[in-house]
Amino acid sequence: MRYLKIEKDRTYEFLEKLKKYGKLYAPVKISDKFYLRKEIEDVKEIAFDYQRTLLPLKKYFLPTCEKMFDIDIEKNEYRENLEKIEPFVIFGAHACEIVGLRILDGVYLNVYPDIYYARRRKAGIIIGLSCLPDEYCFCNLRRTDFVDIGFDLFFHELPDGYLIRVGSQRGHEIVDENIELFKSVEQKDIDAFREFEERRQKSFKYQGSFDNIRYILELTANDRLWDEESEKCLGCGNCTMTCPTCRCYDVQDIPRINLKSGERIRFWDSCQFRSHGLVAGGHNFRETKKDRFFNRYVCKNSYFYPLGTSYCVGCGNCTYFCPANIDFQKNLDKIRSNYEVIHG
Amino acid sequence: MDNVYSVYKCRVLRTYDLTDEEKLFLFRFEDSVIAEKWGFIPGQFVQLTLPGVGEVPISICSSPMRKGFFELCIKTAGRVTQKIHEMKPGDIAGVRGPYGNGFPVQKFEEKDLLLIGCGIGMAPLRSVFMYAVDNRWKFGNITVINSARTGNKLLFRKELEAMRDMAEAENIRIIQTVTRDPDWPGWVGRAQEHIRHANTNPKNSYVCVCGPPQVYHEIFEKLIEGGYNPRNIYVTLERRMKCGVGKCGHCIAGSSTFLKYICIDGPVFGYYDIISVSGLI
Repeated sequence: MRYLKIEKDRTYEFLEKLKKYGKLYAPVKISDKFYLRKEIEDVKEIAFDYQRTLLPLKKYFLPTCEKMFDIDIEKNEYRENLEKIEPFVIFGAHACEIVGLRILDGVYLNVYPDIYYARRRKAGIIIGLSCLPDEYCFCNLRRTDFVDIGFDLFFHELPDGYLIRVGSQRGHEIVDENIELFKSVEQKDIDAFREFEERRQKSFKYQGSFDNIRYILELTANDRLWDEESEKCLGCGNCTMTCPTCRCYDVQDIPRINLKSGERIRFWDSCQFRSHGLVAGGHNFRETKKDRFFNRYVCKNSYFYPLGTSYCVGCGNCTYFCPANIDFQKNLDKIRSNYEVIHG
Repeated sequence: MDNVYSVYKCRVLRTYDLTDEEKLFLFRFEDSVIAEKWGFIPGQFVQLTLPGVGEVPISICSSPMRKGFFELCIKTAGRVTQKIHEMKPGDIAGVRGPYGNGFPVQKFEEKDLLLIGCGIGMAPLRSVFMYAVDNRWKFGNITVINSARTGNKLLFRKELEAMRDMAEAENIRIIQTVTRDPDWPGWVGRAQEHIRHANTNPKNSYVCVCGPPQVYHEIFEKLIEGGYNPRNIYVTLERRMKCGVGKCGHCIAGSSTFLKYICIDGPVFGYYDIISVSGLI
């Protein structure tokens, strides 16, 4: 892998230059508690030390609501909505989010590639940024705290700038086109990088392994914990909307008022909604709130074969944004410790 | 890159009222090239679109041997299917697919075949049955158990009745059974009660089952009791599918160790899939 360094005062210059590759999106602080990723006019407003944004990275590739087709009802025709997608740059993606995007790639670009997602994925440049975990993060347990593939450039914080990893051909090209901004990496930078990574590993609240949590979960499906915790759940779906890997969507045909034309749209859906497991005739495969609640835990903890990781990347978003204070990680931990008590 | 969500225009050639809720539609692709090229495996489904109304997944119920057209049996179960029921010959709908894995019909060859359909579950099994009839010499004895609550709710009742004489001569046994119809002159009772009346040799049979989720366990029990090999039991399942291609997540079932999309990993599953993936039925 190619490593480079950029000094702090040149970083803003580089960010400014990124705008020529497309619209620049980065996290911005919008209130005391919240950050939002949005289009950047002034690079000085970019937040470098953010933990999580209101909506995850997936919103740029799988928009909250998207027109798939224009419908001509009279002619019975569907015209796909393939307006040109302009290139765009995302700065400041954390490692867990990049793994999350790779999971979405596995789903959306598999045997039946999704053209809408694929086009956006091709247009997007991803620039990662290192972070220090807060109390909600457990990407170390998920082994997504470090990422090797899925970004064009990755910025690692140093005391006087950033150590940059180049992760793709496009990344190389961007670096080469702005080579005057970069320096080569020296031993002191490598030492500082190592020191940062060690500090980072130590600051995780949870240590250990989650490798067998999916088996434990399955074996404790009747645990009282699920009754108690699902009782608190409001069924609002916030956990799934803020999850970087939740990918469910619903589709609807919306006719215009003249009933001659319309559009087919898709929009984010959530397994926490009662309608999600409903089939024709009214039978519901996940009838109760507990069924739906437990379903999210098993879905997120199941194994994603192409990456060898679970669907959950340990970002902590679902817990942070839960209005009922349901702690996803803590629940898993309880299940894990119960099991260890039982099985020694 | 092709858009997997694009639909092909299909014309309704014929409609037929099967029961008061279910209708049979015969479709043909408008584009003759697609009509020629298009094929499917029994057990696969299509996404049927009514422009401006919406899209629904429907199992194909005709034989794949009959090229150029296909049949769908549609029950009025919601907004879209109600609108579909208003369609008349000559009307146009959109279709994409076929999707799903289908029944491994090639494996069934030279073996006896037992088909158990409960209610609307008979629709996908009709495709297997018609395939077997069209390739009669490839299969051993065949039994179809078609069950419903009352006689006039039996799907394909007249069609199956009409072939009874021919069927006996061809070693095809047709058992049409109802549970709540005192006026019904034929077989009475639930489908599983007639497994013992099948003319199939349990040791040498493949079994296909489709019906509402509640019936499966009892049917499995009776089949295994009757000596049928669990390895040879297949079911086809129903879910709400918005994409049909493993994206939208509505048909995800299973638990943390096995997560399955009904649309791409199914809708046909083997008995051992069913017992190792929780939540499938």
